[in-house]
Amino acid sequence: MMSPEFEVRGARMKTGTPRTPNPEPRTALAELLLTLADDEFVLGFWDSEWTGIAPMLEEDVAFSSLAQDEIGHARVLYEILAELTHDTADHIAYGRQPEEYRHARLLDHSRTDWAFSIARRFLYDTADATRLTVLANSSYAPLAGIVGKIRREETYHRMHMEAWVKRLAEAGGEAHQRLSVALETLWPDALTIFTPFDGEEELLNAGILPEPLMAIQQRWLGEIASFLQPLGLPFPFREAGGGRYTPTFPITMDSGRIRHSDDFRWLWNEFTMVYRAEPGAEW
Amino acid sequence: MTEQERLDAFNAHVASGGKVEPGDWMPDEYRKAVLKFVEMHANSELMGVLPEREWIMRAPSLKRKLALTAKVQDEVGHAQLLYRVAEDLGKSREAMVDDLLAGKTKFHNVFHYPTKTWADVGVIAWLVDAAAIVAQQALRESSYAPYARTMKKICWEESVHIIHGRDVLLSLLNGTATQRAMVQEALDRWWGPLMQMHGPPTDPTKDRDLAWRIKNKSNDNLRQEFLGIYVPRIRELGLTLPDPELRYDEASGRWLFTEPDWKELYAVVTGHGPMSQQRLAFRQMNYAATQWVRDAMLATPRVAA
Repeated sequence: MMSPEFEVRGARMKTGTPRTPNPEPRTALAELLLTLADDEFVLGFWDSEWTGIAPMLEEDVAFSSLAQDEIGHARVLYEILAELTHDTADHIAYGRQPEEYRHARLLDHSRTDWAFSIARRFLYDTADATRLTVLANSSYAPLAGIVGKIRREETYHRMHMEAWVKRLAEAGGEAHQRLSVALETLWPDALTIFTPFDGEEELLNAGILPEPLMAIQQRWLGEIASFLQPLGLPFPFREAGGGRYTPTFPITMDSGRIRHSDDFRWLWNEFTMVYRAEPGAEW
Repeated sequence: MTEQERLDAFNAHVASGGKVEPGDWMPDEYRKAVLKFVEMHANSELMGVLPEREWIMRAPSLKRKLALTAKVQDEVGHAQLLYRVAEDLGKSREAMVDDLLAGKTKFHNVFHYPTKTWADVGVIAWLVDAAAIVAQQALRESSYAPYARTMKKICWEESVHIIHGRDVLLSLLNGTATQRAMVQEALDRWWGPLMQMHGPPTDPTKDRDLAWRIKNKSNDNLRQEFLGIYVPRIRELGLTLPDPELRYDEASGRWLFTEPDWKELYAVVTGHGPMSQQRLAFRQMNYAATQWVRDAMLATPRVAA
């Protein structure tokens, strides 16, 4: 699935070239903001593809709102980043090459079927909720400030997704089957939301990131275990004692936000198609 | 009261601007006529989603992405509201969607055409929605009260779409030569379908929808109204309209234009437009692919394993 040009950074890391340590938390902060914004941006794009063709009109309207919320969150995050890097939000969002995006691998898949979109949103929304709870205490005021607003909306997303997961699981049969398959497929990639990155240490020291990403991941797993298990849905982890979960599948976290799929390249081609048509033009 | 007296009283009531609520007595013919009218409107909102939806993934800035997704979402919401109005008149949403997908019922001509560039997004939101709003504003006075109420909400949202569409075009017109050419090219393509959109002139004495005040303005008057408002606005932007005969005639107080191609209109709305079959096939495919979700929602919940 992975095409060579999507492995630029991953390949460099695999050949053993040492990573250059970041000289200041500013670079690391930019990296953190980029991961947060790209997650929301890419998810917003995939989900907006349901607009107009969702299974029922009521849900069509609801899912469009979710997609718009994500794009709106991406916009404010890109704006904070743009101020830091003397750039513009649109240029960051649309002006990069595919390999420069830093969304988690969970968001590298196309929307696929309804069960897949629901499963992904459920994993993302619950993980994001745990991540935002921590970031609300960030020492970086602009981030802590907007996280408050984002959390209010994400609370509704999570409730909406929990209701869907519950409904599809309890319907049994094909619905339960499709949802289970989607979760099985997505679990390894869902963990990459918490991929550690260069400069995480500096952000922790500065209090910009109040808790290590891997610790947030553990908290998230603990939170959703008790939701998925009673519904008979896949939760492929062993409790390793002390409330720690270890996956029962092999994981590859290193390139979790660096290598991207052909699905994403297709998406990138779509969302930059008009933007690239007239370089530098306003639309 | 005899049946005839009842009918006369109903006709007099609606003719004098009276309203009809779903629980009121109404002639079966009136009920069927409102259903047919609202059902086609709902179908048009639902199918109208598809041409613009193609650009949701290609919107070239964060602002446009948000505006276009919201705009298409509004159209889906309109379809939902209108199908609900129609359902009260005795046909289920499933039956209406089935008939639409089977090609048994119609949707507006403009949604049978392809989109080619980003400028189409602007032209559709500005001018297709403008032509629609001229008709829809008149429908706020419809004799069928639930329809009239729904149109109030829809008109408000459509007016926001028009602002969005004009803004898209203004950005292009203030941009590069390629962007400006894109707008003119889109306008040239859409003008024919826009002129056909309100339908051929009808004999007002034989138009039952008018007599019952289901609608309040004739096709021809709607077109005149659209031209009166939008021709000056289009020209103000430096755009040219592709009809050499188009001009305002002071003497008659009416716009003159090349007769719209009614044969094309008839062919298009009966499923022979350039995109009619592809759009229906796309809907059929997606409807079939999500049937299991609707089935699951209707299923009796059972405790999972």
